[in-house]
Amino acid sequence: MKTPISYFVVLSAVLFAIGSVGVLVRKNALVIFMSVELQLNAVNLALVAFSRLHGNLNGQVLAFFSMVVAAAEVVVGLAIIVNVYRRMHTANVDDASLLRW
Amino acid sequence: MAPDQIVFWVFAPVSVGSAVAMLFQRNAIHAALFLIVNFFTLAVFYLVLGAPFLFAVQIIVYAGAIMVLFLFVIMLLGVDREESLVERLRGQRPLAIVLGLGLAAEIFVTARASLGLARGPANFDETVNVGGNAQALSHVLFRDYFLPFEVTSILLIVAAIAAMVLAQRRERTTVEAAGEAEV
Amino acid sequence: MLRSVWLVPALPLAGAAINLFAGKRLGRWAGILASGLMVVAFALALGVLAYLLRLPGNERLVVRHLGDWISVGSFRVAADLRVDPLSVTMMLVVTGVGAVIHVYSIGYMDGDPRYGRFFSYMNLFCFFMLTLVLAQNFLLLYLGWEGVGLCSYLLIGFWFERPLAASAAKKAFVVTRIGDTFMLVGIALVFLRLGSLDFSAVLRPSIESVQPSGVFTVIALLLFAGAVGKSAQVPLHTWLPDAMEGPTPVSALIHAATMVTAGVYLVARTHVFFEISGVALTVVLVIGLVTAVYAATCALGQDDLKRVLAYSTISQLGYMFFALGLKAYAAALFLLVTHAFYKALLFLSAGSVMHGLGGETDLKRMGALRRAMPFTAAMFGVGALAIAGVPPLSGYFAKDQILEVANRSGYLIAWLVALAGAFLSALYISRLMFLAFFGQDRTERAAHESPPVMTVPLALLAVGAVFGGVLGLSVTSGRLQGFLAPVLGELTEGAGGLPTAVLSVISVLAALAGIAVGWLVYGSGKVDWVALRVRFAGVHEFLAHGWYVDDVYSTSLVAPGKAGAAFLASAVDQRVIDGCVNGVGQLFQWAASRGRRLQTGLVRNYGLAFLVGVVLIFVYVGVRLS
Repeated sequence: MKTPISYFVVLSAVLFAIGSVGVLVRKNALVIFMSVELQLNAVNLALVAFSRLHGNLNGQVLAFFSMVVAAAEVVVGLAIIVNVYRRMHTANVDDASLLRW
Repeated sequence: MAPDQIVFWVFAPVSVGSAVAMLFQRNAIHAALFLIVNFFTLAVFYLVLGAPFLFAVQIIVYAGAIMVLFLFVIMLLGVDREESLVERLRGQRPLAIVLGLGLAAEIFVTARASLGLARGPANFDETVNVGGNAQALSHVLFRDYFLPFEVTSILLIVAAIAAMVLAQRRERTTVEAAGEAEV
Repeated sequence: MLRSVWLVPALPLAGAAINLFAGKRLGRWAGILASGLMVVAFALALGVLAYLLRLPGNERLVVRHLGDWISVGSFRVAADLRVDPLSVTMMLVVTGVGAVIHVYSIGYMDGDPRYGRFFSYMNLFCFFMLTLVLAQNFLLLYLGWEGVGLCSYLLIGFWFERPLAASAAKKAFVVTRIGDTFMLVGIALVFLRLGSLDFSAVLRPSIESVQPSGVFTVIALLLFAGAVGKSAQVPLHTWLPDAMEGPTPVSALIHAATMVTAGVYLVARTHVFFEISGVALTVVLVIGLVTAVYAATCALGQDDLKRVLAYSTISQLGYMFFALGLKAYAAALFLLVTHAFYKALLFLSAGSVMHGLGGETDLKRMGALRRAMPFTAAMFGVGALAIAGVPPLSGYFAKDQILEVANRSGYLIAWLVALAGAFLSALYISRLMFLAFFGQDRTERAAHESPPVMTVPLALLAVGAVFGGVLGLSVTSGRLQGFLAPVLGELTEGAGGLPTAVLSVISVLAALAGIAVGWLVYGSGKVDWVALRVRFAGVHEFLAHGWYVDDVYSTSLVAPGKAGAAFLASAVDQRVIDGCVNGVGQLFQWAASRGRRLQTGLVRNYGLAFLVGVVLIFVYVGVRLS
């Protein structure tokens, strides 16, 4: 393999930054949630890349766990979004601002 | 140019492009589809990095199960609702972009300084993925990480129960009905 | 017998507790219970006396250890009771006179809505007073000392619906507190300089070598300041006349027979310090003499039955301190004992008069009461003759002995002044007697004699007042004096002076002269005393107001104090302290009203803040690592 590991790390950073911007810029709760998934995947990429760099499988195992947690998180998160939608008839996070002053 | 370099330079722009494209979709369905593309490119990178098992998991779990779940919820909440891209919060968008760029730049600088052009061991498949990636991974997973692995099963069960509890339609009490009437 | 000495204070305490919690339910039994307990306590005290008398003279000291009270490092205070002739004498006075007054109160307080509470307080007072006299160390004594002060406050203000009673209680508490504070400093000094609070360790003549005599002077004067406050001596005497707002049995028990004599007891108990100092002894002598004469003159100007007796008490206490100053401790204690009898008798007779007249205390509205209340008049007469010093009543012996010692001491002026005081005592008491019981009937309602429950105690006290003198017929060889000698030391006969018989004649003559003048002015009808007091209105007012000492205190101390308090309350507290508190509150209110705008409720704003933090942490880590 000729590609330097840092390339993957930088790619991961770029994806993570895009995900962050997505979380902050988008208003649809579902799209925000997708952006969070993008961030998680970006981290997974970095983990796998580091696994390759260090020559062991710990990074891959951690990425695997991260996927499991992500799966659980998606399930609960989507259920919450559905609930919020039922109550407020919107998926716009700006409308759900009850906890303000 | 080595095959893996070709793969990287082909798929990296696709990956970044699909991620950026996701941000600009007014329709959630389109955003989800671009995200699936992104997940596929990541799967390819896993393959290049010597993780064929994660490649399979990425496609099956993420691109398959999770994104299907997303699409399902989008359908449930109504596909035709399109999000207005007008930003009401002043300064939110430029600040977010600046901060995102700053974060990426910081990691770029850090990676350049600490990793440089390091590549890791060349014979990764022979020394680490002994007897195949899935077999080697299972050795690590079921020996060193056995307890966390079992705990994740509990986590998944709890998440499933939580989803059922959260999503079930409750009997509408008078208070709730009154609250909704107000909304 | 001595094993159960703790029961003597414990019985009244139990009575106080029972009456406090169940006094309402007990009804009339509250008084009977309290009185019964006091009688039992008196019987026990007599038993202790009998036991002590069987011991040889110089072994009459028993300390009963009840337990440790305070034990901190080297500071140890035990709850010990000291049984010696001095404490037994005091114990007998407290329980004996106390029991009689309790019985009297059953009749006097009958029908009062807070009947049970009255007896609870009275019992509590007896407990503290017994603790005071039985204490084996200064701190336990101080506990009793403050306890009787508290009970005095509670009982003066017993009828707290009356504004006068409430303010008199407050005044008594505050004024005695001045002396008590000095006394507490003195006790602290005793521990600091002499290393112990235990009487046996500290009160011995050899303590003299431990510290320079100046230290003992300071300690003695501080302790004496406490005695001055408690025993209402000049200049802290102003509370006692006002304290007459309390029920009359309280005046008899607390403000005549027992609590006010605690100062005399304290000085007698710690006479070692005073003797080492010397200067302190002179101070005691002067204060006592000044008080004795000053209060006697004030008593002449009072129109209130009880206030006359109050000033009389101050005067008599002055005599006791005068005797202490002359080192005639036993004579002082002798006067204390006899005074307890005849002053309690006078107060209870006065109470009987008030009872018969529906609470009237103004002498101007009395007169000729001997016809309506012959028994009370007779009892009052006995007390009056005793206090005037007419032989062979008890007061004669006590006063005569003090005058004798004064004559022998070499302070001839002191003797003459004290003699003048004796004359004044006879004068004011005969004035009281003639105004109340003789002359024209100026009463506004028909008087009636009191019930037996009140007159029998009067008779008992009268017996004491008449025959109390047999306890100490002579300065040197009296029974009481001999009993107290192991504690207080023998009286050293002064050189020179007039023979005893001559002195006795002189003092009897002084007393008779006082009575004669009193009869001439107030009893004979030949002098128009009303016209006399109009003519000398200035003098009368001067005496009636107690030489305006109270007014001087009011304007010079109380008024500035009140003004200062008002200033602190209005300006400092309202503006500065409240301002600070409110300012802090307003600051936070303002900050919160601005700061809460941060809580937009918009998730994306929070996320942005989160990302700012992440980026900044990256910058920080990067800078640190590079």
